[in-house]
Amino acid sequence: MGTVLSVAVVLAYVVLLTFVAVRARAAREFAEFSLAKRALPLALVFGSLAATYVGPGFSISFVGRGFNSGFLFLGIGLAYALQNILVGFLIAPRLRALKDCHSLGDVIGQKYDRKCQIVAGVISVGLCAGFSAVMAKAGGVVLSDILPLPIWSSVAIVVGVTALYTTFGGLRASVITDAFQFSAFATLLPMTLLIALAFNLKGGAETFTNQAIEATSQGLQSTRFIEIVGFITAFLLGETLIPPYANRALASKTTRISRNGFILAGLFSIVWFVVMISLGIIARSIIPKDTAEDLVLLNLVKMIMPASGYALLLVVLISVVMSSLDSLLNAGAVAFTQDIIQPFIKLQNGQALSIGRAATIAIALVAAVCAVFVPSIIEGLLLCYTIWAPAILPALIIGLFVKKPRPLAGILSMGIGTIVAIVFEFTLSDFTGIPAIIPALAFAVLVYFLGHWFGKIKSGV
Amino acid sequence: MKTIIFVLVIIAVIAAIASGVWVAIALGIATSIDKKKKTPPDTMKNS
Repeated sequence: MGTVLSVAVVLAYVVLLTFVAVRARAAREFAEFSLAKRALPLALVFGSLAATYVGPGFSISFVGRGFNSGFLFLGIGLAYALQNILVGFLIAPRLRALKDCHSLGDVIGQKYDRKCQIVAGVISVGLCAGFSAVMAKAGGVVLSDILPLPIWSSVAIVVGVTALYTTFGGLRASVITDAFQFSAFATLLPMTLLIALAFNLKGGAETFTNQAIEATSQGLQSTRFIEIVGFITAFLLGETLIPPYANRALASKTTRISRNGFILAGLFSIVWFVVMISLGIIARSIIPKDTAEDLVLLNLVKMIMPASGYALLLVVLISVVMSSLDSLLNAGAVAFTQDIIQPFIKLQNGQALSIGRAATIAIALVAAVCAVFVPSIIEGLLLCYTIWAPAILPALIIGLFVKKPRPLAGILSMGIGTIVAIVFEFTLSDFTGIPAIIPALAFAVLVYFLGHWFGKIKSGV
Repeated sequence: MKTIIFVLVIIAVIAAIASGVWVAIALGIATSIDKKKKTPPDTMKNS
């Protein structure tokens, strides 16, 4: 009976999602596929940004962190909120003001040169594929908890459905379905917290606060200072302007909407972290203390909700995953078409659209295959953050503010930043205890300025 | 202090739900406008 109900809930959700995706309709030209014709209103930019960053890391893992270390991760999460707000004030309007930009690589190409655009494109596609594999794994894990299916077929279903509507609808379909999925999880998960507070927490506000204080002090005692610095750096920079976010900044209707979308998304992240961590804190008095971190949310919901409610929540968790996955697939496909193919072959609009669609399917396939090799959700995400920040951010951010950015500086920063991040992560990080993102960023910034200086001498300007 | 933390959590819950509802309304408006604007395929410019 429970399985029948669960299948019914999943089917109802898929039907509803398909209806929403059909309303978004198929993209007819590349500008629609890549930037939704630069006509997105504020609520959709905000909803889509929030839906994209609230993946399994900011839901399942954050509840687990709240369970083990209370509000410690709220402090760390504030770095993420700050990042979004700063991007909103300083960078998003500058990105939106650029003309004829479809991707982050386009921005770098305009500021530096074609070679830099290609390097940025390769990094963007690689990162989108990596993030997509992590999302595919998370989606597969949750779906196989609802339906009695092996993990590979659950991954195939989640990736297949997401790739289907993203391939045809492009960014607009991604944003519209994101908004739908955001509405679902932004109302249902907080309602779960309300139910837990009202019916499952004995002792009310006092018990909650005592549990919060106890968990937070445990978290502070068990986390080293350098680890906290590493987490704050990763949250501050690791996801900054990854391709799906940059695409939303570029696709906003106006520069004002671009700015406000990021600011609101930053403020929402604070609210969201409070809700997720509070769910973890409540779980301390409901589920066993030795529960694994990634299972806290699922076990909590299983304990406090009826079978249909549990199935509905799992569907919501799948939508959390799908809303991030669709954005990554679309952003990767746009980066591939615009930054890797277009610099070599001038494509007609229809050809660009076809290549974008084919690339969406290819990245989805790579993600589905690689999902099997992802060790854990949080490890996979942290690896992607570690590479992204040093590889792209110094070149992108300095390039937006410097008057005459030098191509040599851009290429050196992207190349050395990527290499140091990968080498340090896999060789020295465990040995030294220093998170790889810190030395890699330092190297990327250093070689940027060296490249800028040499480039200046070379050009004689 | 204990009550303040609890009240802040409740405010966060309300803010999250309100954000979800706002985006849902905007989504409804955006898709219904889009439906009205939809141009028949035969009149579309051939790309």
